[in-house]
Amino acid sequence: MTSVAIRIAGANGDGIESAGALLAKVAARNGLHVFAYRGYQSIIRGGHVWYQVRIADSEIGSFGELADILVALNQDAIENQKTHIKSNAIVIFDPSKANADSLQSARKIPIPLLEIAVSQSGDPVMRNTVALGAVLKILGLPLSELEDVLRRTFGKKGEEVIANNLKAASAGYNFQGIDAAYSLHGDGKQRYLLDGNTATAIGAYAADCRAYFAYPMTPASSILHWFAAHEDKGVLFKQTEDEIAAINMTVGAASAGVRAMCGTSGGGFSLMVEGLGMAGMLEVPIVVVESQRSGPSTGLPTKHSQADMLFVMHASQGEFPRIVVAPRTQEECFKIGAEAFNLADRYQCPVIILLDQFISESYKGVEAFDVNVEIDRGKIADTSTSNGRFKRYALTEDGISPRSIPGTPGLEFVAASDEHDEYGDLVSDMFAGIDPYVEIRDKMYEKRMKKLDTALKSEPIFLPELSNPTAKHFLVVYGSTYGPASEAVEMLNKEGLDFGLISFSYLLPLDAEKTREMLAGKDLIDVEANYNAQLAQWVRLQTGVEIVKKIRKWNGEPFTAEEIYRQAKSMVGV
Amino acid sequence: MTQTYTSGVKPVWCPGCGDYGVQAGILRALNELQIDKSKVVMVSGIGCSSAMPHVFSTYGIHSIHGRVLPVATGVKLANSDLEVIGTAGDGDAYGIGVAHLIHAARRNIDIAYVVMNNQIYGLTTGQASPTSLVGAKTKSTPFGDIEEPVNPLALALASGATFVARGFSGDPAHLGELIKEGILHKGFALIDVFSPCVSFNTLNTYDWFRQRIYKLQGNNTSDLVSAFTLATEAERSNWSKIPIGLFYKVERPTYNELDITLKKGSLAKQPQHTKEQVLQLLEEYR
Repeated sequence: MTSVAIRIAGANGDGIESAGALLAKVAARNGLHVFAYRGYQSIIRGGHVWYQVRIADSEIGSFGELADILVALNQDAIENQKTHIKSNAIVIFDPSKANADSLQSARKIPIPLLEIAVSQSGDPVMRNTVALGAVLKILGLPLSELEDVLRRTFGKKGEEVIANNLKAASAGYNFQGIDAAYSLHGDGKQRYLLDGNTATAIGAYAADCRAYFAYPMTPASSILHWFAAHEDKGVLFKQTEDEIAAINMTVGAASAGVRAMCGTSGGGFSLMVEGLGMAGMLEVPIVVVESQRSGPSTGLPTKHSQADMLFVMHASQGEFPRIVVAPRTQEECFKIGAEAFNLADRYQCPVIILLDQFISESYKGVEAFDVNVEIDRGKIADTSTSNGRFKRYALTEDGISPRSIPGTPGLEFVAASDEHDEYGDLVSDMFAGIDPYVEIRDKMYEKRMKKLDTALKSEPIFLPELSNPTAKHFLVVYGSTYGPASEAVEMLNKEGLDFGLISFSYLLPLDAEKTREMLAGKDLIDVEANYNAQLAQWVRLQTGVEIVKKIRKWNGEPFTAEEIYRQAKSMVGV
Repeated sequence: MTQTYTSGVKPVWCPGCGDYGVQAGILRALNELQIDKSKVVMVSGIGCSSAMPHVFSTYGIHSIHGRVLPVATGVKLANSDLEVIGTAGDGDAYGIGVAHLIHAARRNIDIAYVVMNNQIYGLTTGQASPTSLVGAKTKSTPFGDIEEPVNPLALALASGATFVARGFSGDPAHLGELIKEGILHKGFALIDVFSPCVSFNTLNTYDWFRQRIYKLQGNNTSDLVSAFTLATEAERSNWSKIPIGLFYKVERPTYNELDITLKKGSLAKQPQHTKEQVLQLLEEYR
């Protein structure tokens, strides 16, 4: 595999992300595999920002630890990034803005980016585009795809912006003294460049999600932006006064029969907890996205973490069924973004899509995927089944009772957060502890809980995926760690170390027996972004299998394949 | 055929509870309006007031404490054709969930919000509420309440509510008329109701109210300043004169009428998203 990592760094407001995204799209249009990630702080102007695009000729799931090419738009970029680039990296910088004296063995390419930008376009910000042109030349990629990408990206800003960008890029491309240093060959396939949040949003849309409720919170906000930007496409977006309102509106909308979702990060989810329990008790199908960031409390708002897993599994008082799924890739974000609604409708319970900053905000070039989403609304009662007063919470074998949608005559009922009988009438205040209400409580509780047994019996999805089953050692991961861990396994196997991968996206419920069979007796190394090794705890609780070896990380930076490779290698005694 | 709206379920209220009067008021309004009961969704929170949806035979959601308005808003946003009635207590509406009142009012979401205001926390056996009067001795304020009460009417007016009224559960006919007007009103309608707690509020009794309340007549209900003046009369008169009736009513487009998606029609009835739409959306990412 040939791969090149390009890091563009500078100040917030320099157009770093825009240049990085353009580069990633151009590479994807050339049939190459792309993975991109942005490092930033919670500050609007100023601050140090970097965007790393890794381009490869086969599938990748991480952005690369050390960059092969650095574009430094200011002096900070040189100083902050020198430990994040290879010693022989190519460094493009503007001598009027920075010097690269501190980089000993790098191949330095000074280009007067600012001067060229002003002379070509009159806009100093376009120095990022000049640099982009130079990078395309070095990568050996043609300039030809850029025009269409610019048109798609800046189309609304008008022809002049596109023309100026093209002029700036071609000046960089044709700058004297730079040549192609790489030769990358694409496979001719067209790819979309999607971050996990956007993929989740589009997946939800494809499943006919018609309402999204949210309060802004990094790193979930881009889901909100997506729904807000597409409100004219038959979907409602409502920004709410807080996350409490967000989840309660979701429950209201879902009760009225519309597929509805809310999303946030850990802090906002903390506020949603009571509403989540209500959805469990009312048996209303809702989907909640929780994109984890570095806690506790405000923590590192723009940084990565996987420390909310046990929290979302146990959040809210009492016991009620819920489904927790953590997509491993951007492709899976789309698939699960859609599937979550079928699961919620089938089992009439909240489904939590557990993302994290890394998957939410990293971009992957994904092949065109199947957008034929089958929609299953679960058991819906209609008037034909009407027979006397409607038993919304009828005791059934599988625990699932047909629900009616307001507006349907003859099937009126009250959904109550208090314990209730089959009609929805309360068995709490006046009747608690009195026969026969004790028995009703018993049965109603069991009815709700049984729904997950039904799910486990009828869906073969609630277990991890095993790759390389006969390997000697296995990495165990969930969610976004899958990407870098898959690459680490490849690196380890290249050295003959015989590694496999056990990766979870479906976390709760879990087919404990099959998971135990998969894990038992294997040499396992748990890899996750938290202190307490929450996945390992969960696995032990469910299966009794204890994973002793652990690679944990909590500094806010996502895993790189290289660091997993190094640590795993040392753990197996090499 | 005349519809009946009662479920036969008995509420948990004490004999003489003000909430029976509110029940009677809502029933009068529904009986007169004869709205298709399968299209009515009554949403309550937690507390004595939360029993309200259960005594009716419409659709209902008995939600959690303070969240009547967001749940009701979700229902209304999802299906504009439903008639959504919020029934809350003063703890729900003016305590734990007070933020939602401000936002529902400024959104002008088309919900009638009936608040059973008994100035006490009854179901938790008698602690001070956000509308308890200064000096009120309760289980949580044994030395007398030292906080100014929330003025729900002034708060709603300041937040942009387009219909603000106050009723008294000792006069269900008058109250029923206000609730009916509130349901008919296109936009957010707050109907605050003095609904005495006969078990725990020994200060604000039926008699106490009867000596102080008077019915508004001929007031200019489209003038915000006079509405504010009347809405603060009880406080300004040191609770010697308490006006009830309609304080304010103006027309302003509702949230559902302004939202780019909802103005095309009820969300629940819009066409299902298609594969072609999804493919078109994905084109932005190439």
